[in-house]
Amino acid sequence: MLEVKELRKAFNENQVLDSLSFRVKPGEIFSLLGPNGAGKTTTIRILMNILRADEGEILYNGEPRSKVSQRKFGYLPEERGLYQRATVLALLTYFGTLNNMSRHRAEIEAIRFLDRMGLVEYTEKMVNELSKGMQQKIQFIASTLHAPEILILDEPFAGLDPVNQIVLREIIRQYQEEGKIIILSTHQMDEVEKLSDHICLINQGRVILDGKMEEIKKQYREDAYYIEAEDDLGFLHEMEDIEILEEKNKSCKIAIKNMNGDFKKIISKLFSRATVKKFYMVEPNLHDIFIKLIQKDNSQASK
Amino acid sequence: MKNFFRIARWEYMTRFRSRSFLFSTFILPMLFSLLITLPAFFLTYEEEVSTKLIGVVNLGERSLVTNLQKQLNKNFRLKNGTPEYVVMPVSVDNSPDYKKAHSELQTMQARMDSITQAYNAIKDLRVQYYNRRNLPNKNYLLQKTYDEMVETRELKDLIEIELETHQAQLDSVFNSEARRAADSLLFKQVLNAYLVIPEDIEDNSVIEYHTYTPGNLLEAERLHAVLNEIIIEARMANANINTRQISEWLEPVQLKKYQLRARGEQEWNFYVEFYGSIIGVVLLFMAIFTSGGFLFSSVLQEKTNRVIEVLLSYASSRQIMAGKIFGLGFLGLTQVLIWLGIAALFVFLNLFQAGQIPYLNWDNALYFLLYFCLGYLLYAAIFVSIGAVFSSEQEAQQINLVLRTLAILPVLLVFLLLKEPNSGIIQVLTYIPLLTPYFMIMRISQQGALALQADIYITTVILVVSIIGMVFVAAKIFRMGILMYGKKLNWKEIKLLLKTS
Repeated sequence: MLEVKELRKAFNENQVLDSLSFRVKPGEIFSLLGPNGAGKTTTIRILMNILRADEGEILYNGEPRSKVSQRKFGYLPEERGLYQRATVLALLTYFGTLNNMSRHRAEIEAIRFLDRMGLVEYTEKMVNELSKGMQQKIQFIASTLHAPEILILDEPFAGLDPVNQIVLREIIRQYQEEGKIIILSTHQMDEVEKLSDHICLINQGRVILDGKMEEIKKQYREDAYYIEAEDDLGFLHEMEDIEILEEKNKSCKIAIKNMNGDFKKIISKLFSRATVKKFYMVEPNLHDIFIKLIQKDNSQASK
Repeated sequence: MKNFFRIARWEYMTRFRSRSFLFSTFILPMLFSLLITLPAFFLTYEEEVSTKLIGVVNLGERSLVTNLQKQLNKNFRLKNGTPEYVVMPVSVDNSPDYKKAHSELQTMQARMDSITQAYNAIKDLRVQYYNRRNLPNKNYLLQKTYDEMVETRELKDLIEIELETHQAQLDSVFNSEARRAADSLLFKQVLNAYLVIPEDIEDNSVIEYHTYTPGNLLEAERLHAVLNEIIIEARMANANINTRQISEWLEPVQLKKYQLRARGEQEWNFYVEFYGSIIGVVLLFMAIFTSGGFLFSSVLQEKTNRVIEVLLSYASSRQIMAGKIFGLGFLGLTQVLIWLGIAALFVFLNLFQAGQIPYLNWDNALYFLLYFCLGYLLYAAIFVSIGAVFSSEQEAQQINLVLRTLAILPVLLVFLLLKEPNSGIIQVLTYIPLLTPYFMIMRISQQGALALQADIYITTVILVVSIIGMVFVAAKIFRMGILMYGKKLNWKEIKLLLKTS
């Protein structure tokens, strides 16, 4: 278990992290979300021991971060960078040995990973001969070559094509099954929804939402329904206990105000008035939750 | 600690194989050697083809000019055997003033001749009269011729005075006209220089030397020596000393130059000393700036392409900085050792003889290594700091240019040293840490290590202290600077950074 407790960090006058806390369990894919400048990168850098927090502590399985070997961590930074004038294998071996792998083992692991990523024929190629997507995969390999227990991925999907996104997602799932701690930081909400089980939303250095994905979705469920019909749905305006959230010509998103009331009655009335083609419950979208919460938080802060 | 070695190894290996390392190790020194030896070649080449014409305005004895030519021929010849200097008496025959004065003098001379003749005739006649015993009116005739003789003699004295005036006038016309002619020949670059030898050179001892290039010390010195010799010779000859005696006495002394060195005395050769020291200093500069440049671009590249972030998550900033400095330092050391190896190979193959080039010895090789290491470490700390502070390639290119320009300054300052190796200012400049390595290498190759023992100890201490200080500062700047993207640190921020962290 990775525990972050009351982290505070300021750069000069600027308070970047303000009592930030969260916990990640093994086998969990944890997503750290937040707008630009929320403090995600700073948090990650503190986790990676690149920066030191002003206050607060980080514990891994009860041990303070400073006593945990750096080798247990793997890190894919947001800003991608590789040595351009080195061969793929030499580069991966170098990063492997920096994590205390033997040269020989690093080479074997590197080739194994390259094979898995479909890049084995580029082993002896110079990095600058590779496409941007390939370079990104190489960098991903570099961050996981030494089999870390905690894998921190900053925007891992950015710049990858859909096929490679699936490959990457599968690899991440595999790590999850191995019981590793995976921390994602991304702006791609759809990927988070597909992959993550635990999300933490931060804004201005504070946690504004932290919880299991399903629980959050349940919590922010608006009891909204989507209706699509062959006829005009104008009659909905006249109905009681209904709130129209979005309206188009022949489709509508509605919320039912009083669930204890006559749910059946409303439904039957609806179906009798129009030929309904589609009717389903609308799951709250993480993207919407994100925007809603950030806006709310910012308006509170400005007050 | 292990990561320090891994980083050092990586920096070393990736740069060792790079083209720019090969270029700066083999091609650059070759180009540089060519570049400095070519002008020297041309200089000596030009000097050897042209025979120089030296004009002489001679107001003294004729023989001086012939002697001057003889002495110059004896001492200075071109490679093809022809004399290097040709002496040309400046002619004034075409000058109208001179012609006029000359013809006046001739008329006067003619009058003088005729009056002398007349005078002699009267004297002869009187002798005849006197010897004839039975000459009628003898006393009268003697009295009459006596009067005539006195009259003629007075006239002759007058003409003689006038002749002298004319002679003096002619001399002065010759003096001014010859100078004018010589000046115009000098102006037309027919003459390289001209000399004015006064009439009374044996007492006066002043000879004028006229030239457009008084800076050509070598030429003036040569003429001075030769003139000295022939004038002294002439004076001796006037004192009736026989010629063989004179030439024995005037046998010139040759000065052989020796210099005290650690391994006994060595003969001194200007060109070897000059080029040797410069090559040494420039090689040191190249070595420091090859590895220093690699270091600078390594830090900067890792900062701009964010590899540094990955590295920082595996190794501490201190390990990274030290790994880079030492890895690339060993690269520089490799370069220096390659050069020393090449030099040793040349000596081994007898391409140049170590015996003739006194500074080519093992002691000096060790001093070169010492000052390379110390100099590199100092500059490395500076490069690391600068690389960490700047954030874009473009800015870095600019600062790199400025750095290189600044860094060549010590090399230029070294030329000061050639002129006055023992001056106080050199001593002071030697103790400025950034200049120390260059100046010490220069001075060691010029003066020999033996004469500089004290300075070697002092400068080593100065350098070690400044390296420690600079590395301390660099570590702080590096740690904070490398994670700041997109903006350049300004002085205020750097100061704050040094204070707080």
